[in-house]
Amino acid sequence: MPDTEDPLDLTPVAAPPTKRRGRWRTVGVLSVLVLAVLALLSQGLLHSLNYFETIDQAMSSRAKLGTETFRLEGVVKPHTIDRTSRGASFWMTGGNQEVFVNATGSPPQLFQANIPVVVEGHFTSATSDRFVATQILVKHTATYIAQHPNRVKAPNGTVR
Amino acid sequence: MIKQLSQRLLGPVTLVLLALTFWLGLWVTPPDRVQGNLVRLLYVHPAIAWVALYVSFGTSVIASCLYLWKRTRSVVMDRVAYCAMEVSAVFLALTLITGSIWGRPTWGVWWAWDARLTSTAILLVFALGYLALRRANDDPEVRARRSAVFAIIAAINVPIDHFSVDWWHTLHQGATVFTENGNFLVHGSMLWTLFVSLFAFTLLFFWLLRARYRLEVQRDARYAASLDEALAQRRREGVH
Amino acid sequence: MIRTALLVAGKDLRIERRSRVLLWQVLPFGVMALVLSGLALGPHHAGNSSAGPGLFYLVMLLVTLLMINRSQVIEGSSGTRTSIATLGLDPAGVFLGKALALAIELWLTGIVVLAGAVLLLHTGLLGSAEALPSVLVILAALAAAGTLYGALSGGGQGPATLLPVLSFPAFAPLLIAGERSYSDALHGGALWPWWVISLVALVAYLAIGILLYGVLEDS
Repeated sequence: MPDTEDPLDLTPVAAPPTKRRGRWRTVGVLSVLVLAVLALLSQGLLHSLNYFETIDQAMSSRAKLGTETFRLEGVVKPHTIDRTSRGASFWMTGGNQEVFVNATGSPPQLFQANIPVVVEGHFTSATSDRFVATQILVKHTATYIAQHPNRVKAPNGTVR
Repeated sequence: MIKQLSQRLLGPVTLVLLALTFWLGLWVTPPDRVQGNLVRLLYVHPAIAWVALYVSFGTSVIASCLYLWKRTRSVVMDRVAYCAMEVSAVFLALTLITGSIWGRPTWGVWWAWDARLTSTAILLVFALGYLALRRANDDPEVRARRSAVFAIIAAINVPIDHFSVDWWHTLHQGATVFTENGNFLVHGSMLWTLFVSLFAFTLLFFWLLRARYRLEVQRDARYAASLDEALAQRRREGVH
Repeated sequence: MIRTALLVAGKDLRIERRSRVLLWQVLPFGVMALVLSGLALGPHHAGNSSAGPGLFYLVMLLVTLLMINRSQVIEGSSGTRTSIATLGLDPAGVFLGKALALAIELWLTGIVVLAGAVLLLHTGLLGSAEALPSVLVILAALAAAGTLYGALSGGGQGPATLLPVLSFPAFAPLLIAGERSYSDALHGGALWPWWVISLVALVAYLAIGILLYGVLEDS
């Protein structure tokens, strides 16, 4: 029972100071996040997610690749395409190196000389530069030029 | 008055520009020296992808951020985020479909698990997840908050998708318009037809967004009216 | 925040120790899923160690979904969520605590399933041991992402299909990174890039959870 001679003290009490941690924590967490992502990108660590290897990359890691199946990218060398009933064979260039490709299955519609292609298959041995492919994919470039019958051709046969 | 006029003209102008795009794309522009007539998908696929990844997804994410920020929190922002994400889901699906149609004769396959295609597919699944999340909760505030958070998390995938062709070796081509040195890799009439298509599909997005937003407003109003009616009926039953 | 995290993690792990759901339900499910994977592949392919990494992570993904649901349902009993909110616990601490508890449970399950992959799918023992650090980090990232998506999907109260629909696109990159790191470990590839990638993924999900979990719990 409350003592009627001592009334309750109902004076409002000042609220305790709250920690303003929210903003600094947000800044800190975002900074850590940005730094982590930048570190990741600057080290080029994501190259393992590549869809294919270039010829230079494949040749430099021949010992590791062996006869494992992977995708190889290069440009079809002119005057080397030999279409057979089973598929096609051709030389592929990339950097300063060349690889001979023997592919089974019909090549895509756009397959032609001087076009970048991605072939899926494997080297015939750990030291050979001959590649056996089960699939040819054409990797068309980002350049679009109108087809013109009178367009001037460069000495190497490509159209300007 | 200008606002009303622009709203009235949005639909007709969009249709005219789309018709112009198709006319230019199918009859006026020349075939490509490598791809031949397959290049005509250049006036459809990139524009749809532009709307899907940047315009509509971006609108949804910005509206979600504005909803979460107390000063700009409103039901309008929530509706814009939802409607834009719905349009984005449709355009993402169309991106993959038109890309497949283009990929089959050019690459030789309908689909490849390279970084660009995979990240776009993941983005579509995110968009579908957002729509599923919207339907899972009836409380408007809870639904709006959770959707906004989910949209912001999903947005991380957009720069990954955009830079995927630069960071990794991909079967998908690199940038044609937004190149590193600023040069356009498309020439002549093909270039400005591409820009017409980008503009036309962007207007199409805003037209669809506006229509979807109005539908959402009417749906909310109908829900509120049906709630009022149900309450009134309960009261009448109580009186009798 | 750290103190709250340890309190919440301790609570979740004590509940798990008493209920023994992990021991009697989740572990058997994981092993059974691995066996079924082997049966589905058939004798020629199941014994080929190249299938091991992908199947391991697929099984762990399914286990993660079960555990996320369990982690959220713990809070679902009457008044629990309200009590935690009333206590004024830091939401970031609650998130870290739940993620930590889930990570520990996934690590324990992961080690058992990893042993199963070695025994049943003939995945290389040495390679599996070398892959263990990246496995632990990837599972921790799954736990962090899963805790976040568990709250997004309604904390165990929403439809059962919502959690997989929301979380699969986020888990997909972790699945890819995990499978590649395990495969590289089996074939003698460089592992440190994958450790770094996994750590960045873990940091990213922890950061997002710390920033946004409070918003989700307010709803």
